[in-house]
Amino acid sequence: MSALLPSPGAAAVGSPLPTLLVVPTGIGCSIGGYAGDALPAARLLAAASGCLITHPNVMNGASLYWSDPRIHYVEGSSLDRFAAGELALRPVRRQRIGLLLDAGLDPELRQRHLQVADGCRATLGLEIGPVVTTDEPLQVSLSLGASGASWGELGRPEALLRAGRQLKAAGATAIAVVVRFPDDPDSDALAAYRQGSGVDALAGAEAVISHLLSLELGLPCAHAPALSPLPIDPRLDPRAAGEELGYTFLACVLVGLSRAPDLIRRPMDGAVDGGTPAIGARPTDLVVDNLGAIVAPATALGGAAVLACAERGIPVIAVDNPCMLAVSAAALDLEVIPAASYGEAAGLLLALREGISPAALRRPLAALQAPAP
Amino acid sequence: MPLLLQLERRPGALRPQILEALAAHGRPLRWAITEAAADSSGVVRLQVEAVVLA
Repeated sequence: MSALLPSPGAAAVGSPLPTLLVVPTGIGCSIGGYAGDALPAARLLAAASGCLITHPNVMNGASLYWSDPRIHYVEGSSLDRFAAGELALRPVRRQRIGLLLDAGLDPELRQRHLQVADGCRATLGLEIGPVVTTDEPLQVSLSLGASGASWGELGRPEALLRAGRQLKAAGATAIAVVVRFPDDPDSDALAAYRQGSGVDALAGAEAVISHLLSLELGLPCAHAPALSPLPIDPRLDPRAAGEELGYTFLACVLVGLSRAPDLIRRPMDGAVDGGTPAIGARPTDLVVDNLGAIVAPATALGGAAVLACAERGIPVIAVDNPCMLAVSAAALDLEVIPAASYGEAAGLLLALREGISPAALRRPLAALQAPAP
Repeated sequence: MPLLLQLERRPGALRPQILEALAAHGRPLRWAITEAAADSSGVVRLQVEAVVLA
């Protein structure tokens, strides 16, 4: 696809309408709260918009994935910085993916992950390597916030960053990180998740890991948790099934990162970090000024990307996608375009892309009011 | 456990208010408004959960 996309107001009718899709992780979204189960919605929205920017929680289905040149895979904190105007996204043909392994992996799990990486090299033609192991176990812990959303922390963040810097110095242009997560096969929370009624307890910690790496190194990053295989559950919800097909969650991460756009700091970003030096965006880069819409769950509108887009007057399409939060447009006093489903959201994107006012598609249509002369 | 903040919404853009409140605790890594409700006097109170780098 061409990434040469003028701002929506100036673009030709029918040209791609760059769109952000956000399904926050770890809040139990009915669509997207499980194993990449928002992927069908993402594919639809990519077709409707012609250009979709979304994050690993949407795209990662463990052993399952979908590669679409219209979809740009951007880790959550980078996506937030893109929406805030701090980063441009530069499409690339391929990334050289460094593989970062937690020293806490037991030998068999480590071998399984190396074999997945080899499989992706041999079968999909991805460029993967070098491989670096952290100099000490990363010690992930999981927690729930007051809202019930999943969060987590790393016991040894500096060890993660040391390994990440080593990969970057060795020429990696993107980083896939595999961290040993605590097994808890008998927990009620895991049983609920597998049966389609709970929160992904791992998701919050996963996001923290990839956010930290991406923020500090300025490279596309994504995370796969390493866990021991679970016993079969005959009541498994289809939305969680993607995670039970293999021994690792790594394949989708490698595919997603293989064509993730480069992260380019924009001159307005004064932050001092390890990212790519601030330079001007090229005409072919995606920048927030080109963005035509953001799509997010109607009761999870309190994230950085949605608020940044709302500040800029970018249309916010709020989709009915129940989750454990109740942070609605009314609660935040945001103006949104409501959609009852991702199918309706796709229709709204198509309307915006074609220059049709979404208000004209609803009834009643209020008459214009002219102030008295 | 994530950092938990309770804020009173002020007029103007919301995101800078949250970033300002988080900056007092460190560099925000991940955050979200997880509750928003108006009290009896109409003041909107926000609950923010976050992980910050100290």
